[in-house]
Amino acid sequence: MAESTAQANQFAPLETTEAVQTISRPSLSYWQDAWIRLKANGRAIFSLYLVIGLVGFTLAGPVIWNVDPAAQDVDQISLPPGAARVVTLVPESSSWAGGSATGSGLHFAEPPTTQHVRLAWDAVPAAAEYRVYRTTYSIGPERALGLPLFETTETYFEDLLDLRPRNYFYSVVPIDTTGQEMDTFETIEGTLERVITESEARDRGLLLPGETAPMGTTYTLKWHPLGTDYLGRDMLARLMHGARVSLFIGFLAPILYVLFGVVYGSTAGFIGGATDQVLMRFADFVVALPFLLFMILFKVVFAVGPGESGIMPMLLAMVLLLWPATARLVRGQILQIREEGYISASRLLGAGTGYLVLRHMIPNTMGVILVTITFAVPSAIFTEAFLSFIGMGVAPPTPSWGSMCNEGIKTMLTTPHELIFPALFISITVLAFNLLGDGLRDALDARMRNRE
Amino acid sequence: MTEPLLSVSDLEVEFDTYGGTIHAVRGVNFDVHAGKTLAIVGESGCGKSVTVQSIMGLIPVPPGRITSGTAMLSGHDILQSSTVNGQDIRGDRIGMIFQDPMTSLNPTMNIGSQIAETLIVHRGYTRKQAFQRAVELLDLSKIPEADKRARQYPFEFSGGMLQRAMIAMAIACEPDILIADEPTTALDVTIQAQILDLLTDLQRENGMAIVLITHDLGVVARMADEVMVMYAGEVVEEGTVDEIFYNPGHPYTVGLKAAMPTNNPDTDLRLTPIDGSPPDLFDPPPGCGYCARCPEAMQICKDTPPDTFQLADGHTARCWLHHEGRQAAQT
Amino acid sequence: MGRYAGKRIVQGIITVWFIATATFFAMHAVPGDPLSGEKAMTEQIQSNLKAKYGLDQPLMTQYAIYLANIARGDFGISFTQENRSVNDIIKEHFPVSATLGILAIFFAGLGGVLWGALTALYRNRLPDTIIMFLVILGISVPSFVIAALGQLSIVNLNDLTGISWLPIGGWGTVWHMIVPSLVLGLSTMAYLTRLMRSSMLEIVSADFVRTARSKGLPPTQIFTRHQLRNAILPVITVLGPSIAAITTGGFVVEIIFAIPGLGRYFVQAVQQLDYTVIMGTTVFYGGFLVIMVILVDLIYGLIDPRVRLE
Repeated sequence: MAESTAQANQFAPLETTEAVQTISRPSLSYWQDAWIRLKANGRAIFSLYLVIGLVGFTLAGPVIWNVDPAAQDVDQISLPPGAARVVTLVPESSSWAGGSATGSGLHFAEPPTTQHVRLAWDAVPAAAEYRVYRTTYSIGPERALGLPLFETTETYFEDLLDLRPRNYFYSVVPIDTTGQEMDTFETIEGTLERVITESEARDRGLLLPGETAPMGTTYTLKWHPLGTDYLGRDMLARLMHGARVSLFIGFLAPILYVLFGVVYGSTAGFIGGATDQVLMRFADFVVALPFLLFMILFKVVFAVGPGESGIMPMLLAMVLLLWPATARLVRGQILQIREEGYISASRLLGAGTGYLVLRHMIPNTMGVILVTITFAVPSAIFTEAFLSFIGMGVAPPTPSWGSMCNEGIKTMLTTPHELIFPALFISITVLAFNLLGDGLRDALDARMRNRE
Repeated sequence: MTEPLLSVSDLEVEFDTYGGTIHAVRGVNFDVHAGKTLAIVGESGCGKSVTVQSIMGLIPVPPGRITSGTAMLSGHDILQSSTVNGQDIRGDRIGMIFQDPMTSLNPTMNIGSQIAETLIVHRGYTRKQAFQRAVELLDLSKIPEADKRARQYPFEFSGGMLQRAMIAMAIACEPDILIADEPTTALDVTIQAQILDLLTDLQRENGMAIVLITHDLGVVARMADEVMVMYAGEVVEEGTVDEIFYNPGHPYTVGLKAAMPTNNPDTDLRLTPIDGSPPDLFDPPPGCGYCARCPEAMQICKDTPPDTFQLADGHTARCWLHHEGRQAAQT
Repeated sequence: MGRYAGKRIVQGIITVWFIATATFFAMHAVPGDPLSGEKAMTEQIQSNLKAKYGLDQPLMTQYAIYLANIARGDFGISFTQENRSVNDIIKEHFPVSATLGILAIFFAGLGGVLWGALTALYRNRLPDTIIMFLVILGISVPSFVIAALGQLSIVNLNDLTGISWLPIGGWGTVWHMIVPSLVLGLSTMAYLTRLMRSSMLEIVSADFVRTARSKGLPPTQIFTRHQLRNAILPVITVLGPSIAAITTGGFVVEIIFAIPGLGRYFVQAVQQLDYTVIMGTTVFYGGFLVIMVILVDLIYGLIDPRVRLE
């Protein structure tokens, strides 16, 4: 009996307690949804932090590291980061006429310092003259001896030319009476000690007026966290100030030309008809202009005068040349949205043009515009770097990452840090914006919304 | 009844998505008989397309996965491998046409070559022979000026014409089975009738079996010999077309019928929608999938999956309403 | 196809005219008179220029003379080199740049399609991850840094092995071309790889690919005839801009590798304010790029019937 009751209960009608018409997932606005997607994208968020960090580096950096980017530290030229900064006080240099008997063969007559390198060698019987070479590389089978410094009939030589605290290889090649270099030559290697004379020390403020110090006293020179460039300027300070130029152009140019493109494109798209045709034909022609060639051309046209940085002409040229892509995009979007049902519906309900544009058109194109700007930033930074690199960009002494690369590439082999740091900054910035752009596009893409 | 051409049993298919695993098909059995039309009916997302696409080996793996089941065609399980003796049964023994003809053809190849491809691969025709045959097939599919049309590209065709070309392609190797996945959904009503007529004509001439997937009961009534109603990845009712229409055994079938427009002047002109939406297949309900929307739901439906009840010869329904206990409870 | 080609050529001619006009008026907007500025110039050049351009004439007459000269393919005479015509300069230096560019676009196109297809097929697996990481690097590192690194690696290679495998710079043999053209094509290759990958991913799930599989075609045939052919279309559409990018990218590579190409000459001319060379090469490059874009469009038309038969 109980069993059959239980069975009967089983077949009793089910009370519908829960409403059937519930929507199981919460509804989100377009931007809320996009933000959730973006947050889920680790690479994009990482890039966002990088971008924020870069902006901080640019704005707050120069306040914290308050060093003049144009100040030259002549004691520390092309110095890599982390190099020894100890300097020893030595007497003023006096002229030298050879005559040290110690040692035979090619040898240093005195320990080599950045003040002078004194070489002496044995006479070669058949030689009429000797040629002295200097290089920073070890001499291989190719017999690349480096820079010919001097030719002398004597058997000694004093090198005073632009000496740095590093390793040098000196070679002395005898020259016969016919002026031909002989096959035999001698090479000596030496590490130069960094020294400073008393007057130089006073000059740098290491030695106060009236103060004296015994010879051999050591001082520590100014600290340059990222080293110095070929003029002894602080790399960190220059990178910070260069970031201002690069990011200024990188942000402002895209915003300006995207804005112009939006206005142009939406005007064309909204008015339509013949106006649209004429406007877009013109945009087609501007697109056809070879961009970098005309950037260079404009650079010539806006002839940058002395003392100007050349940032504004570059900005102007970018805006003049780059707006059509955005204009096309926005026009396409507007044309598409114009045909959408909800626009007709809104119109039927009595919405005016202004309302349609503000309430429907702009919000619906915002995503595309935002993505365009994000991708435009790295390309603007690239353009600035490219132009500055070929010497058509920001005029010296204003630093920019591109012009720093241009300067650094000349000493790429000996002091790579001068190229590496600005190149790294450009690459990281561009990388960050590219990844952020990817993330934004994925997050804002309506097609993706319906998947999953 | 004769030996079935294709026999599918216990098919289960899952998809891995970001939201979790979707159990799209949950234990489906059916047979396809030569010369007959089997209609698979159900609303969007009920697993009809996934069922036939897994038979054809068309579900993307990953994220898709066939977790169990067999599909026997001439003693060969085509779920394991779609090739028999190195010959692909797809396009040869089974042809398929899709819902949207506008996107289902390669936009950069002309129609004739796309039909010819099948013949070259399966029949070893030369390029020229195959193209010649393609023209004949287009003619057979009632495309006017077939020899000129064969050289044209998909974008030069209308939707109806493209679907005819798709049919020509699917029947190129005279398959035993033609699977038509919502063949008329994307077409105009007038074109729909023409395409259905074409399919019926071809079936009469070739004697092939048709598996017709649709959510349109009008199409079912016109075409089908047998009907299989799917809901939430399961077959809820199966039977001959007359049984299903005149003696539906599952509340869902009843609901589908009530939602279908008719031209019968005696009926109430108001259509009755089925309230709510299908269950979340991330986490299928333990009992009957239709329970939440069913007007006749009972306590048992919530937690116990229904058994299959035989209602008539070849007519089965998975619903507790047919359990003897229910009859007992009512009296 | 014939009508389509004709239409594109007319458009191209108008575009070249627009470029020439923009160049002309831009150069004449230079403060002061560019053609008789403070630049030291020999009598010979002065008189050559006066005769050539009718410098005393009003601007519009000069413009007409300029256009007529361009229509005849005459770009004028250099400012800084006596009796050397811009045509001669282009004739001498452009083949070098063109060789470099063709090699670079070849590397970029081939690599882009290959890597792109590969990453799409191995989606989210190790080869995809590795290649896409390199691609992101390739897109993010400026061309001159890549060029510098390329040169540095030659130096190191030669240094390590003690043998001069490859020349550090200059031009002449095939060996001179390898590294510069690779370096030049690299960022474009990265860009094309990305494009090809996303286009390929879209195609893999396209309806017509499903149709092809339902026909039982062998996978290789599906890949070549149905997937690759359609996936390559977006890559071809950006080949025009890519050629432009490689052309200007060539400036940097030519400078760094000391290659006597037109790009390096152009940059030099800009630094020396050699106005006629600047104008001439700009218009020449503009025309060249327009021709390339038209060529790319025609190739696109050959592959995509929708464009051809419009």
